[in-house]
Amino acid sequence: MTQGRVRVVLGMLGMDQHEVGARVVAGLLRDGGMEVVYLGKFNTPQRFATVADEEDADVIGISVHSWEYLELVPELMKLLAERHSRVPVVVGGSVITPEDEQTLAGLGVAAVFGAGATPEAIVEKVRALGASS
Amino acid sequence: MKPFYTREDAGGRDDSKPGEFPYTRGIRAKRGSWIQRGLSGEGDAKHSNAQLKALLAKGQTGIDVIGDSPTMGLLDPDAPLARAAVGSQGVSLSCLEDYRELLDGLPLESMTISSSVPAPFFIAGLALVAKERGVPLDALRGSVLQPPFYAEDCGYAMHLPFALRMRLACDSIEYCSRQLPRFHGYLEDTYFFSEVGLTPAEEMALGFLQIRHISKELVRRGVEIDRFAPRIAILVNCSMSLFHEVAKIRAARRIFATMMRDEFGARDPRSHSVVITCHTSGLSLTAQQPVNNVVRGALQAMALVMAGVQALEISAFDEGYRTPGPEAHLVGLRTQQILELETDVAQVIDPMGGSWFIERLTDEMEEEIRSLVARFESRGTPEQLCDRGVFAAFFAEAMDRRHRALSSGELKQVGVNVHRLPPEEDRLLRGEAEAKGRPWHSAIERSLERKRARDPEVVQRGLDAVAAAARDRDRNLMPALVAAMADGLTVGEITQALRRGYGLAEERS
Repeated sequence: MTQGRVRVVLGMLGMDQHEVGARVVAGLLRDGGMEVVYLGKFNTPQRFATVADEEDADVIGISVHSWEYLELVPELMKLLAERHSRVPVVVGGSVITPEDEQTLAGLGVAAVFGAGATPEAIVEKVRALGASS
Repeated sequence: MKPFYTREDAGGRDDSKPGEFPYTRGIRAKRGSWIQRGLSGEGDAKHSNAQLKALLAKGQTGIDVIGDSPTMGLLDPDAPLARAAVGSQGVSLSCLEDYRELLDGLPLESMTISSSVPAPFFIAGLALVAKERGVPLDALRGSVLQPPFYAEDCGYAMHLPFALRMRLACDSIEYCSRQLPRFHGYLEDTYFFSEVGLTPAEEMALGFLQIRHISKELVRRGVEIDRFAPRIAILVNCSMSLFHEVAKIRAARRIFATMMRDEFGARDPRSHSVVITCHTSGLSLTAQQPVNNVVRGALQAMALVMAGVQALEISAFDEGYRTPGPEAHLVGLRTQQILELETDVAQVIDPMGGSWFIERLTDEMEEEIRSLVARFESRGTPEQLCDRGVFAAFFAEAMDRRHRALSSGELKQVGVNVHRLPPEEDRLLRGEAEAKGRPWHSAIERSLERKRARDPEVVQRGLDAVAAAARDRDRNLMPALVAAMADGLTVGEITQALRRGYGLAEERS
């Protein structure tokens, strides 16, 4: 973290258009005192990696409501590794099953939130990850 | 709402019977069934064709097809942004060959075929396949939805400017009114944007805002109101506020009838009586305890049958995860069949009519819808409201409002903010709900192969013709679009040519 406030680049991957969750989380993080760079819909893994770099992000947050993340999150992780970026990636969405959670953790995703996640847990975890990055 | 209602609460100014103007109680005086269907489409066209045939074999009485995200967003399967989404959340339809495979062996003459796939392309695909099979175009029935105002903000983003979205909508409606006279070329879909959490009145207000604007535009073009108004239908949402939803549908029929007769001068009774179809709310369903969604769907469907809808789809128990899987499809269909064949809810038309409460609620709903329409119209033209982000802000506010209500507990959702279960106990139907598919990379390969197999000169000529048609703002785009599809051009390519005709960059993302 560079200047006191955790900065989160938050958005959605691919053609996933269910934006409700992403907007809600953006509000939660903002209310939790973090700075949110909101990318909205229609982002490639490339774009996430580039913006995170340009914006000096402390955390990348991805909201998912389609299955595209199973293909696109691994791509993002690979891109970040190639750039030697250590920015933690957080993925959340009700479509994530416990099995997917294991898969994502195996890829090096720092935190995963499924349907039952509470707002407090999300805010706390993202803040902690951001503060130590 | 009051604790109870009395005779004095009911207005009593509308004594019409079902089948009589203003059609508050229903558009027909005769009892009848409704079209029973489920939202379909998954993988490639062949796979979806098999899915449709399986549903028809189980007693489904109509077809409703949704495209995967690339199809809905006018991208070919091989577009960079599309790759991971091909074949999930809907079917991949990018060229005429896909339509041939999708509709293969389906009874085009005797069944309604509805679709959420971008209208001009679905109409072109359907019409071309019908011609090839010798089915007269005036035998085709079904519907396509037209979302020019709200598409970009609410899940059907096509990345096209307002003027082109409006033109595609009006051109395709006009084309249908002449070429496919029994087909509903204009389904006003209030479902998809109300899923942000709009109230029933807000949902209908935005719907009527668009119906009025599109109707005015068609009349301005010289299309007679009685030529297209009989083929306007409305696809509404149904939340868990069941009585409000019934009142909304009754009020919508009344508003439509009065608007068409008094404002547009429509004379044909079919122009006054609007077909209403419904898709039950996905937003009301939960990823937690998916079996509870079966109950929610059944309650909503019952209310809708009593409201007298012409077609019905129940959002499935796996809604929190995907478009319906086979088990979820079957439960939704069986729910409808039980409602029709085992209960008595469909035996009398408008069974709630005359209830002091429902009549009062219908009047209040009508008034609220009308005043909301007036408020939006006073704030600018639809183009201004779109481009200044007025609708986007309205939707964002609704999302926040709903989130606040859920967080505070003011709005209760069983399994979400009340009566939760620990994950180890939340097992029923979980395996079925969570089953995932992979992207259909084979569809990407096939799309590329088909593109390579074409004569580049034919392709270039087709693209130039579409761009030229787009540049001439007075021409109907449909003939050029149909010709391009017939020549094997893809939806993505045709869209790029349309963009070129409007001086827009061809590449995006």
